[in-house]
Amino acid sequence: MPPQQEMEGQDDSEGRERSLSEWRTKLQTSLPKRPDWPGAPRDLPHVSPGQPYTSHDAYQPPRTLRHGDYTKQSAPLIDQVSNRWRGTEKASTVYVSEPEDHELRFCDLEDEGSCPNTIRDLVRSRRLRRMLAVFLVAAVMLYYGWKWYLQPRLQEEWSFKQGFLPARSNGTYGIARAGDFEGTAIQWLDSSLIPGGEADREGKRRLVFVGDIHGCKKELLHLLEKVGFDVKTDHLIATGDTVSKGPDNVGVLDELIRLKADSVRGNHEDRLLEAAKTILGTNLSPQSVAATSQGYAKDATLLKQLKPKHVRYLRDMPLMLRIPALPHASTARHQHKDRVAEDVIVVHAGVVPHVPLEKQDPYFVMNMRSIDDRTHLPSALRETKRGKSRPWMEIWNWYNDRLFRGRSLKGFHLYTTAEYEDEQASESQGWLGSLWDGLFGKGKAKMTPQIVVYGHDSKAGLQMHRWSKGLDSGCVAGGKLTALVLDASGKTEVVQVGCKNYKA
Amino acid sequence: MKIALGVLICFPVLVRCIIGLPKVPDIPKLPKRDAPFQDVRTRLHRTHQDADEDSPEKYFHESTFHQHYDGRFADKKLNYDDRRKHLTALIQTYLSSMNDIGAETWIMHGSLLGWWWNRKILPWDSDLDVMVSEKSIHHLAQYYNMTVHHYQLPGLDEGRDYMLEVNPHYTNDSVESANKIDARWIDTDTGLFIDITTLRRNKTAQAQGIEGAMMVKDKHHYLYDDIFPLRETKFEGFPVKVPFAYSELLVEEYGERALTQMFFENHRFDPEKQEWVPLRYAADQHRLLPNGPLSHGTSYWGRRLPSDPG
Repeated sequence: MPPQQEMEGQDDSEGRERSLSEWRTKLQTSLPKRPDWPGAPRDLPHVSPGQPYTSHDAYQPPRTLRHGDYTKQSAPLIDQVSNRWRGTEKASTVYVSEPEDHELRFCDLEDEGSCPNTIRDLVRSRRLRRMLAVFLVAAVMLYYGWKWYLQPRLQEEWSFKQGFLPARSNGTYGIARAGDFEGTAIQWLDSSLIPGGEADREGKRRLVFVGDIHGCKKELLHLLEKVGFDVKTDHLIATGDTVSKGPDNVGVLDELIRLKADSVRGNHEDRLLEAAKTILGTNLSPQSVAATSQGYAKDATLLKQLKPKHVRYLRDMPLMLRIPALPHASTARHQHKDRVAEDVIVVHAGVVPHVPLEKQDPYFVMNMRSIDDRTHLPSALRETKRGKSRPWMEIWNWYNDRLFRGRSLKGFHLYTTAEYEDEQASESQGWLGSLWDGLFGKGKAKMTPQIVVYGHDSKAGLQMHRWSKGLDSGCVAGGKLTALVLDASGKTEVVQVGCKNYKA
Repeated sequence: MKIALGVLICFPVLVRCIIGLPKVPDIPKLPKRDAPFQDVRTRLHRTHQDADEDSPEKYFHESTFHQHYDGRFADKKLNYDDRRKHLTALIQTYLSSMNDIGAETWIMHGSLLGWWWNRKILPWDSDLDVMVSEKSIHHLAQYYNMTVHHYQLPGLDEGRDYMLEVNPHYTNDSVESANKIDARWIDTDTGLFIDITTLRRNKTAQAQGIEGAMMVKDKHHYLYDDIFPLRETKFEGFPVKVPFAYSELLVEEYGERALTQMFFENHRFDPEKQEWVPLRYAADQHRLLPNGPLSHGTSYWGRRLPSDPG
C-alpha cells in the first residue's frame, strides 16, 4: 500500500525531509476506502478536530488498530487538541456545591427539592395523609390483634400440645408397668342393655348415669322416681363411690343389686376391698382408732355389716366400663353438644388422653384430678407440688376435639408397635403416596373421639362439656345427686335432686 | 464349824446385797454397737468396718469402701452383674422369711420405684428399702434378733446365710441421725443388706390435730391412709406388699420425671421387653446428652435407639 510504503520511505537512507504540512496534505488526500472485511464498522468514529471528548459522550470501546488499518485518528493528534474545554460546563458542577452550602446539601430549606421541603409537601398532601392514617390504624389493629387474640391462643394451643410430643420429654406416662388391678379392668356393657341395640329395635331403652351416691339411699330413690326409672327399659350405671360417708351404705348396695345396676370401682370401694382381705374372715376384734385411723375404723365397721353378696358385688365392679356408640344416634358434625353419639367410657375419677386404656394406672384412674403438663402424669391433687398441672378434663376435651375435627396426631407419643410401624410406613410413602392413599386407598382406621362420664370431684360439681361429663355434685355434703339420662337417639338430660348434709 | 466360818465370811456380803446398793465402782456403760466381728464372721479374716469414723452412738457400721456393704462380711464392691444377682436373692429371701415369721412389711423408696417400672429392682440400685410396722419390729426384736437363716436359691452356687440384726435403738421413737435404721437383713457372704425402718405414729403431730400422721426415724412423714390398707402384689417374682397410695408417694418423693423418664443412670427402659437395658458403650452413652440424638423422639419404641448391646 502506498501510504505504508510512504511511511517506510520516511526512514530511507535518502533522509529526504518533508515538511509537516506536506505530509499532512499527502495523507489527507490518500484516505483508504472503507474496509470490506465482515464486521467492519459502518462509520468510523467521528471525532472532528476541535471538539473535546467529554464524559457525556457515549462510551466508545477502544478500537485496536489492525495491521494496515487506517483511521482518521491516525492523523496527528495535535490537530485535534483545542481549548474549547475551558468553556464547557462540567457534569459534576451540578452536584458539587459551593463550599459554604456543603452542610445543607439535602436540607437546604430554600431548595425546592430538598428533604424538609419534600416532606412538608408530602405531609400536607391529602393522599399521603390518608395513606398514613390507614397504615397506622392497620398497624395498631394488627399489634393488638396479635397480643390479645392470636398470641394467647397459640400459646394455649402449644401448652396443650407439648405434653403429647416426645421432643419435650424423655418419656411419658403409660410406658411403665404401673399398678395392678384385681378384677376386670375394662368391661364392655352388656349388648342387650344398649339403647337402640339388637335387643331394642324400637329404641325405647335408656341409660341412667348417677354420680357419687355415698350411701344416700333416700336421695337415690327420689332421683330414680324423678327420672321415671323403669327396670324393664332403663339401666342404672353408677360412677363409683356408692358407699362410705353416708347414712345407709348397705341399703344402697341392696338397691343397686336389686336393680341389677352396673358401677365402676371408686377409691372408696378400692379401700374397702383391700381392707376386707385382712378384716373379713377373722374373729379378731377390730383395731382401735388410735392404732389405725378414723377412716380405717369406719371402713372396718362397714365391712362387718356387709354380707358376702355385697362384697361380691363390690369385687365385680370393673375399673372402666365401656359403652359402644349408640346405633341410632346421628354423628352429624353440627349437632348440639348435648348429644352423645360416640363411644362412652365410664370411670370413677378420670383417664389420661392418648394413653391406651390398658396402660392407665388403676390408682390414678380412681383418684386423679389433674395431669402434669409435660409428662401427663396424673395426680390426686388439684395442683401438684411442681405447679405445672392442669385439670385432666381440659386436656381430654382438647384432645378429643382435635380427633373430632380430623386433625392429625403426627408426632404424638406412640405406645404400641403397630402404631409405630404405621407411622414409619406412611413416612416412607411421601406426599404423593399419601395423596394416592387418601383418594383411592381403603383408609386406615382413624382414632375416634370418646366421651368420659365420671364422678369423684365433688368440689368441682357438675361438669358438662362436649367430651366429658362430671356427675359428682357433692350429695353427701348437702349438695345434689345428679343423673344423666341417655336415650337411644343420643339425647341427654340432666336430672338433679337435693340432698341432706350427712357429713356434719 | 466350817459352815459357821463360811457364813461369817459371807454374811457381810449377803447383808450388803440384801440391803442394797453395793459399793462397787461404776462400770462405764459401753455404747451399743453391732455384733462384734469375731462372733459373726464367715469367710473374712479381718473386718473392714471403720467404727472410728462414725459417731459413738451409731449402732450399725458400714464398710470403709462403700456405704451399702457391711464391713464384717464384705471385702470388696461387687461388679454390676453380681450385685444385681445377689440383691435379687436378698429381697427374695427377706420376703420369704418375713412371710414365714408373719411380720408385716412392705417395700418403699427405691424398691417401690423399681416395682412401679417393671416389678424388679432398678439395676443401678445398690441397696433395698423396706418398712415394717411397729408391731412387727417389736416381734422381730423379741424373737428374731441375730437369727441366721439358711437359704439355697436356684442359680446360686451354694447355700447362703442371711442374718437379721435389730438395732436396740428401735425403741427410741424420736428422730436420730445416728440410728435411722431399725434393723438389717444382711447377706453374710457378700455384705449386701436391706435397710429396715419402722413406720411409727407421730404422736406430736397427732396431738396437734393432724389425723393419722405417721413418721419414720429417717425424717420421712406419711399419713396412715396413704400406706394402709396394704396392697398385695409381686416383686422379683415373690409376693410382696406395697402401700395403698403407691403412685402418690412415689411422685411426692421422686417427682414426675422419675415415673415417666425412660433414660436414667446410663440405662434405657425398653417398653417392649419391660426392662432397664444398660447403655454400656461410650457411643451409646453420648446419646444421653441433652442435645444428643436420643434427646428427641424417645417414645419410638427402641427402633431408633440402639438395640441391646448385650
